[in-house]
Amino acid sequence: MTTHALRLTRRPEPTAAVDAPSRFPSVGIALGLAGLLAVLAALVGNLVAAGDTGAQRAETLAWTFGLTTAGFATLKLGIATILMGVLVRLWLRVDSVKAALPALRPAAEPEGAARYGPIGTPYGPAVASPAALEPLPIHRLARRLWSPMLVLGAMLVAAGLALSFLQAGTSDAGDFLALGAWVQGLQFLGEALLLAGISFLLGSILAALRGGGGEVQEELGLTVKTLTMPRSAKLFVGLMMLGVVAAMAQFVLYAVAASLDDPSTWFAFLAPLREFALGLLLSGIVLALATIGTVLGFQFARIREIVVTGR
Amino acid sequence: MATAGTQPLFDVSVSTRSPGRNLPQRVGARLWLPMLALALMAFPAALVLGIVRASEIADGGSAVTIEQLRHVGTGVMFVGFAAVFMAISFAVARILGELRRGGGEVQEAARRPVETLRMPPTARLFLALMLAATMIVGAAVVLHFVFAADVTGSGASLADSEERFIVLEGVRRAGTALYLLAIGLGLATVVRVLRFQAVRMRRLPEEPARDA
Repeated sequence: MTTHALRLTRRPEPTAAVDAPSRFPSVGIALGLAGLLAVLAALVGNLVAAGDTGAQRAETLAWTFGLTTAGFATLKLGIATILMGVLVRLWLRVDSVKAALPALRPAAEPEGAARYGPIGTPYGPAVASPAALEPLPIHRLARRLWSPMLVLGAMLVAAGLALSFLQAGTSDAGDFLALGAWVQGLQFLGEALLLAGISFLLGSILAALRGGGGEVQEELGLTVKTLTMPRSAKLFVGLMMLGVVAAMAQFVLYAVAASLDDPSTWFAFLAPLREFALGLLLSGIVLALATIGTVLGFQFARIREIVVTGR
Repeated sequence: MATAGTQPLFDVSVSTRSPGRNLPQRVGARLWLPMLALALMAFPAALVLGIVRASEIADGGSAVTIEQLRHVGTGVMFVGFAAVFMAISFAVARILGELRRGGGEVQEAARRPVETLRMPPTARLFLALMLAATMIVGAAVVLHFVFAADVTGSGASLADSEERFIVLEGVRRAGTALYLLAIGLGLATVVRVLRFQAVRMRRLPEEPARDA
């Protein structure tokens, strides 16, 4: 499955039709709508459960929890699918810029001895170099890890969903609590891995922006100007790692809680912990998107500079 | 002055200068960071409230306090989630703003007609769903605080509180799902804009340049 995902997001051939519509957004939105329907079905379940009492209420709430989380996971898979479309489109944009810029740039006087090294830009510190820079280790990691994270995350959420139906059908109070602990731990670890997969996809987009920008400038024989890793990108990586660690911790603690006779104290603490973990990952995603915005601003400024000055 | 124009594949407006960011994109560029800051304050606060509630349960504390902390802790956590989803939406709007402004400025620098994609339906839905989700989650958060204040020691009050919590849980989740769908639509708009820009860039050299 991961190989298939990687094949789908491979860089298109330079001769690929740039005006052909992308199927990624349609598939992504369809997944999103399916996820929304699942959550709305669970909402109806909750409204019914509010009027019930005792065991019947607990049974309904067990499966609505599993179904809601599976709905969220489907929505996140939809977002990931659309991000794959962004990745492919970025490469087509690089090829278009490469094709158009030679005809748009004016003939420039020879630059003399080019100056390489750190430079300042309105978008933050950058580096001037004679050739495109190599991808950073985090970029390589992101390109390798986004698809395994998405697959593993989806599998854990699906396993949790199956357990939630088992939990809803069990009559033994001890089994009910133990299964509930496993459902929550598994599904929230799965959700966290899905968000980590989305984070790595955003990292892959940042890698494509850096690689593509360098490639365009190098091919035109220009000084290659590359934005150095912004502070927002460093914070993004930090928050993502903290979020994944917190999600793993909640899973381990739920596994411990599953063996306890009365895990109510543990559940009271673990519910906010698992949400805190997702909150950290989502905060990291905000910073990744902000970094993409900054890099795009820098790249447009550089293209404009080339069009106006020829160098 | 922008005029209407339609490329074969895209609905565009044509002008001589870059139109810059539109209003939602300017709002996005300004608000993504304050929203992120709010989220980063709310998440730890909610975690601390969860720890306090867990210790109340462990110590056999008052049922009223435990129930109130449940509502307040969840309310604070969802202040964080609403803020972080808004921050994501604003950051996506900022990306769309950079694409619109930068794309226009490159065409202007090349002395070609500046074609700008009109707001696609996905972008309009993105804004509408984000607003709907904010209202739903916001209302649920306010009700959590109201219901927390309404808890008394009687059995009926505690049972009502439990019932209200279950209903609000479903409502919050529906709001969260709408946020996620809105973000997907925002990103789908990014894909469309990138496609438009790739096509436009290829056509630029074929068009005659304006006199300087």
